[in-house]
Amino acid sequence: MPAYLAEAEELLGTGHRQLLAMEVSIRRGVAHPRAVRELFRAVHTLKGLSAMVDVEPIVDIAHWMETCLRNADRAGGRLPESSVEPLMEGLREIEQRVRQLAAGKQASPVPAGLLARLEALEVAGAVGTGGGAKGGVATLALEETLASRLSPAEREQLTQGVTGARRAVRLDFIPGADRAASGVTINTVRERVAVLGETVKVLPLSGPAAGGGSLTFVLLLLTEASDAALLDAAGGPPASVRSLRVPAASAEVPVPVATLDAPVVEEEEPEESRRSGGLLRVEVTRLDEALERLAALVVNRSRLSRAVAALTAAGAPTRELNAILQENARQLRDMRTAILRLRMVRVSEVLERLPLLVRGLRRSTGKSVRLALEVGDAELDKAVADRLLPALVHLVRNAVDHALELPEARRSVGKPDEGVVRVATHGRAGGLLDLTVSDDGRGVDAQAVAARAGVPVPATPDALLELLCRPGFSTRDAATATSGRGMGMDIVRRIIVEQLGGELALETRPGAGTTFRLRVPLTITLLDALVFECAGLRYAVAVGSVEELIEVDAARMSRPAGAGGLCLLERRGSAVPLVSLARLLGQASAAESDAMGAKALLVRQRGELVAFGVDRLVGQQEVVLRPLEDPLVRVPGVVGATDLGDGQPTLVLDLAALGLARGGKPARREASAKAERYLS
Amino acid sequence: MTVLHVVFKVAGAEYVLPAADVLQMESFTGATPVPGAASHVAGLVQVRGRVIPVVDARARFGLPPVERSLDSRVVVAQLGPRVVGLLVDSAREVLKLDPQQLKPPPSLVVEGARGFVKAVAQVGPRLVMLIDFPRVIGEETLDGDGQR
Repeated sequence: MPAYLAEAEELLGTGHRQLLAMEVSIRRGVAHPRAVRELFRAVHTLKGLSAMVDVEPIVDIAHWMETCLRNADRAGGRLPESSVEPLMEGLREIEQRVRQLAAGKQASPVPAGLLARLEALEVAGAVGTGGGAKGGVATLALEETLASRLSPAEREQLTQGVTGARRAVRLDFIPGADRAASGVTINTVRERVAVLGETVKVLPLSGPAAGGGSLTFVLLLLTEASDAALLDAAGGPPASVRSLRVPAASAEVPVPVATLDAPVVEEEEPEESRRSGGLLRVEVTRLDEALERLAALVVNRSRLSRAVAALTAAGAPTRELNAILQENARQLRDMRTAILRLRMVRVSEVLERLPLLVRGLRRSTGKSVRLALEVGDAELDKAVADRLLPALVHLVRNAVDHALELPEARRSVGKPDEGVVRVATHGRAGGLLDLTVSDDGRGVDAQAVAARAGVPVPATPDALLELLCRPGFSTRDAATATSGRGMGMDIVRRIIVEQLGGELALETRPGAGTTFRLRVPLTITLLDALVFECAGLRYAVAVGSVEELIEVDAARMSRPAGAGGLCLLERRGSAVPLVSLARLLGQASAAESDAMGAKALLVRQRGELVAFGVDRLVGQQEVVLRPLEDPLVRVPGVVGATDLGDGQPTLVLDLAALGLARGGKPARREASAKAERYLS
Repeated sequence: MTVLHVVFKVAGAEYVLPAADVLQMESFTGATPVPGAASHVAGLVQVRGRVIPVVDARARFGLPPVERSLDSRVVVAQLGPRVVGLLVDSAREVLKLDPQQLKPPPSLVVEGARGFVKAVAQVGPRLVMLIDFPRVIGEETLDGDGQR
């Protein structure tokens, strides 16, 4: 089932993408045969998969969509505009059922009326087959032998050439020894012709050819070049150029439709496999597992290095051992990098949902919007990408909902009717990726925002962003003409800043538009952490590092003489040293120094259990670990910092390392500092 | 050619940093102490989602601590790949300084200031001191072995 869900998810993504591409083509009045086929293929595969796992409602929906698309393909990749909505609905319904299955529920039955709507499309599609192109019956002056070797898509392409601005021509090239000697071969002709126009198809024809040859290459082209230029590209006669436009008199000799009915859909399969070749779908949990194994190796390595240090201290010859250790450390770091790279996904894949979102918004708001995605091949850690997407969805939604004006309003200020929302990446530096979400809408009206919040007008963009990010702040029901943006900005900031440890900035110009700049780390480390309070500050530790949580019971505690504030705690018949964490952290005031805290975290420190007394447990939560890179704050026992939402960094501690570094003799500090570095 | 500098005050004295090195100024609302860090490290603060260490200029200059006020500022500066904050008493001015104005400090000052002061400029009746930022935040560099 997980494999099915993952695959279905991906196919739905493809489906949405292709259907959107098709919708764009329809609006432009051109066919999009490739999208029709890709969509057909996605739906077809979905149907097959769903049949295998016996999800009948999805099979049914997919079946009717498939039928409709097959007709569209036969019509040369043309789909009536009225078909888009039912198809979209079909995808949505399939998606909803896939989600139900993912949640362990039964897929609900096909909604009433949907199949009927899809079936109606089928009929409409069949009727439309004959008159695919606008402007009447499209015909090509092409012998049947050639025409039959064209796919409907190619035929459509040529037909459009016939009716469009470019000419559809047939260039016959006859190869020969003399031509090859002067450097003219089918390959050079292809290249030269490619400059002059679009090559729709190259068909080799065997049989007697002009000039005594026995092979002719027929190049079917769409071009604006002159016949002379084309002839020249083919090395001159016996090459010939003919127009594919049907002379008016012979217009009643259309290309027989019957020969074009072949199941062309499977034709491009090899290309498909070529593209997906070399890609592997791996569950994230498996990658996590690999990373965990690696972490175990790293821990082991630091034990090894301690053992070697002990040997060295005892006077043993350890030069070579140390060299090996160093090499080992390097290898482990490389390995870690390699594994982290495995988790990277393309930003473009993450943003696949945005076009669909914008399409929906276009319909619901009545605004004319174009979404421009300029994300190149930038990559992000899957975990970052998953968190980032909702923030981008918010920003894009806000841009369309609040920032963009209605077409007439745009026209009145001299802007094009169609607004643009742009999502772009701007390169990466130092483990960070810069993104922008911008629009060419009305810009944020700082005064309106301030008035709404009941505060003075913010002086800087940062202050304005601060206002917009106030929880629950919305300008939605402020006067529409002056409304700014803000819906859910607190969520956006929480994601970017608190969850991802990134940055968020705003630039806005009244009347010209708004740009949100996002900076996110390429990878984040998530940690299941215990959060607790100690001497008035909050700290976090990895859940995995804590063996047990216990109540500190004064009755079970004794203070050995001369132990310097160390206590012994009776626990299941054995004595466990209890350390005051506040004291260890240097946070305890003199009065508190005797207090041991109410709770203790049991941690294994060099194999021995040690209890760290803390004041209060706050809870367990997943935190984003931000490593502390600066040497000023790179200290043993502190793994990094995290943000628990109060805007103040919270230290993430490694209690064992901290105990060793700060509880023990100063000499230990160096060794443990090293171990710490290797761990991070 | 004058260069824009950020002026800040520590214990009544005025210091400057080239504005090009300064990323931003933040008001100070407390830092998270880091156990085991050098004593002049006030702790960690979060600036636009980024966690940066803050050096307490008073502690670094060997001056007595004061109660932090609304005027206290963290001057966030870029130092190569590092971003470090400097906690100062106040910072509310920028100055254009001609490089000609910047004179090497008297040798007594060099000794007394432990090299923190790189140059001194006279601006009207005022003396402003250009600090050696790397030196002030500490000589520590990133590990030479290229880790991290």
